[in-house]
Amino acid sequence: MRLSRRRFLRLCAKAGALAMVGSLGCLQKETVPSTEKPAIPQVKGTFIEGTSAGDAETLNWIFAADQASFSYVGYTMDGLIAYDNDLNIVLRWLAKPIEVSDDGLVYTLTLRDDLYWTGGKQVTAEDFVYTYKNLMFADWMPFNYKDDYREDVDGKREFVEVRAVNKTTYQFIRQTVDPEFLYTITDFWAYPKHIVKKYEGDLKAFTQAEELNNLSYTGNLGPYRFVEWVRNDKFVLERNPDYYLGKETGAPYFEKYIVKILGTPAARHAALEAGDITSTVIDPLQVKKFKEMEHIKVYTNPTASYTMLLWNLRNNGWEGFKNKRIRQALAMSISKDALIQSIYLGFADPAFSFIPKPSPWYVEEGLSMYGVGGLYDKEKASEILAEEGYEQEGGRILDKNGEPLKLTIITNSGNKVRESICFLVKQELSDIGIDVELKFLPWATELNQYLRNKVPGSDQPPAFNNGPDAVSEKPWDLLVIGFSTDPLAPSGSSTFFSSEGGLNIEGYFNPEVDSLFQKVKTREALDEAERRRIYGELSRLLSEELPGDFLAFPASNVGFQKNVMGIEPGISMGYNYHEWFFA
Amino acid sequence: MPRKASMREYILRRVIYAIFIAWGVFTLTFFLLRIGPSSPADKYLATLVAKGENVEELIAAVEARQGLDKPLYIQYLDYINSLLHGDWGWSFSTSMPVMELIKIHWKYSFQLILLSMLFAVFLGILIGVYSAVKQYTKADYIATFFSFIGISIPNFWLGIMLILVFSVKLGVFKTYYDTSLPMFSLANLKALVLPVITLGTGSMAAYTRYVRASTLENLRKDFVRTARAKGLPDRVVIGKHVLRNAMLPVVTIIMFDLSGVVFGGAYLTEIIFGIPGLGQISFNAIFADDYGVVVAVTLIGALVTLFFNLITDIAYTYLDPRIRYE
Repeated sequence: MRLSRRRFLRLCAKAGALAMVGSLGCLQKETVPSTEKPAIPQVKGTFIEGTSAGDAETLNWIFAADQASFSYVGYTMDGLIAYDNDLNIVLRWLAKPIEVSDDGLVYTLTLRDDLYWTGGKQVTAEDFVYTYKNLMFADWMPFNYKDDYREDVDGKREFVEVRAVNKTTYQFIRQTVDPEFLYTITDFWAYPKHIVKKYEGDLKAFTQAEELNNLSYTGNLGPYRFVEWVRNDKFVLERNPDYYLGKETGAPYFEKYIVKILGTPAARHAALEAGDITSTVIDPLQVKKFKEMEHIKVYTNPTASYTMLLWNLRNNGWEGFKNKRIRQALAMSISKDALIQSIYLGFADPAFSFIPKPSPWYVEEGLSMYGVGGLYDKEKASEILAEEGYEQEGGRILDKNGEPLKLTIITNSGNKVRESICFLVKQELSDIGIDVELKFLPWATELNQYLRNKVPGSDQPPAFNNGPDAVSEKPWDLLVIGFSTDPLAPSGSSTFFSSEGGLNIEGYFNPEVDSLFQKVKTREALDEAERRRIYGELSRLLSEELPGDFLAFPASNVGFQKNVMGIEPGISMGYNYHEWFFA
Repeated sequence: MPRKASMREYILRRVIYAIFIAWGVFTLTFFLLRIGPSSPADKYLATLVAKGENVEELIAAVEARQGLDKPLYIQYLDYINSLLHGDWGWSFSTSMPVMELIKIHWKYSFQLILLSMLFAVFLGILIGVYSAVKQYTKADYIATFFSFIGISIPNFWLGIMLILVFSVKLGVFKTYYDTSLPMFSLANLKALVLPVITLGTGSMAAYTRYVRASTLENLRKDFVRTARAKGLPDRVVIGKHVLRNAMLPVVTIIMFDLSGVVFGGAYLTEIIFGIPGLGQISFNAIFADDYGVVVAVTLIGALVTLFFNLITDIAYTYLDPRIRYE
């Protein structure tokens, strides 16, 4: 359970319009604007990024749980690494690539020696070690992602060891192998030990510390410096003239960078069209219009999030779902092309497993592509249903009791895309004689009453996976939901599909799948070819087993004023945003 | 008893009532929020579930940080104690003290509501009286027609249309409100033109209807006939005698609208024009289960409503000298 939200943010780009998007490319790549970059672009103008995805909650990042908070802090501090459009590591605060010992247990990180906190104190390995040991791992600190740094040792969850080797080098030492730990250890920043030490152990003081809430300690660590944050209005930054990456290049090239909160998509679109903002995410319905505008450039970026239709395989779902052939028949009846064209207006890729195309671990060979081509076949689906004992009468499938089959599909209310998908599923399944009832529920209701489960009659606290005999308080059959994959470390998805997975909502239990997920965390998997083979096998198995119907990887569209130069569209558009400039 | 003394006593009584009402509102809000099924961690759930995070651990961490893991009565007593010491608590969804948050954002709502009220009251009275005086003329029909349109148009739609026409197509105004403008400046006034029209149009149209009806009723009264018989000019009859009486029912409505400054009555307009007012702050706080902000906004809202009710009562005595508070 360690999909890294920080890494997602970096991938999704620090330029916040993009940060709200997720941009991992498997759609067609676009070209960089033709204007060549001058030797050193002129510093000018204010870049205004419009967003309606909500304001940040805190700049005191150890408490953050929302994307916007991580994104805001990210403008003032780069972090250890970034990822380019090919998902290669680009060094930022690190002086050289992370060294992993041959046994896969020791990770050595070396910082640049020209990083300074405000006031001129050098950023050291000790700052990082202190942040991990005395803050993130400390009992008094409710850090949200502690589990990312724990491992199973002799049946117990223990924190990995962190130690400073010298002024700029520190190490993580594990007792168990996890090749994907490499991607977790660069997720967070550090606090300056000399500032935060006085707050150690005092949660209230740490929460309300002024210097931690106004980012006044960020020195030369990021391209911009904090100026002002008006809640629900704007987050204002100014160019950092001391930026460690700007010593020779003069970067960044905007005098100011503002994140402007605009309440509605309509307000964002109007502001971009009128030239009041520089960039924003564009809704699919508006893309055509903006592409026709001379002063706007639209980039389409695929994402690593996918939409899924889960079946309730637990005892309070339709019993037919427990039969793999029935699951395949239903997936065969739902057209992914129709879904992508009519709901996503073409801005999506069909999904067949949990690994997106741009991931280095994506293997297409052998995937069962239900819902497209020859595997979109309603007649065949009806035949399978009949073969499995579900006959039609008067155009309606009958259940085992001879009653017309009626399934209930649920999703969270307010999400228009998911609601539309429910309508499409209802339509598609009605063509093979299955009646579907729609239920759109508030998130809290959906999670607490429909998805959390427990063994009936037990005193278990409800959780998302309390074992194969657990059921939710209220029954459901189909669920439209969105999941994300970390394209570099997809094994985090074991939480959705493995027997012990904390978010195995649907109740899918398959020892073969469990074993493959476990194999990713072995010494053998340190070999990348072997890991790729394991992921290939896992993808093939899940695409055929269908713990749910993998529907689509939606794309996102981001519009910019045409005079913004230096953008590199692709997998992680925005990773070089400090090099963007106005023509 | 002299009028001034009874008024003072009346106000004192109302202030004492207000203290009890405020305590009741606080207690009710506090417990209703705490016994509800939602948690401040709920807002993360969609993202966390999507990314496969350890949801249970995060919920526990969020609740521990906000002190929600303590028994309810301890939380309540702690809160009362803090309030009595002038500490309204910390807003966890915005990372700042609750009172500072309200102080910063109150002014954006206040200027918007004040200007839109002035716009609505001034035009509403003007058109309403004119329409009544010119009853069944072309001008009356036009005023009636447009006031019904004004009442019917949803303000979010009107706001978007105004932005499309005046900002996107004509480029006269910015598409969103700019908080960096000095509050007392022409530029700020200009920035508020579209939001004020958006927020004020519905009220203006409604006031037009109220004032028209009320004026018509008064125009038929004996004292108007008497005034006219005395040979007073229409300007004086309408302005001094009719309007003063016609305003009585309208004042209550205006005061009620004004108290909306805290209740977030301008929420939609604030959203459309990107104005970070109290409407947005309180709405977001409710969805974020930011208990400190919700309690503070509700409490202040109750007090403001009580205050405006008191003002309304006092205004009555001046508008209608026959009214007495004993």
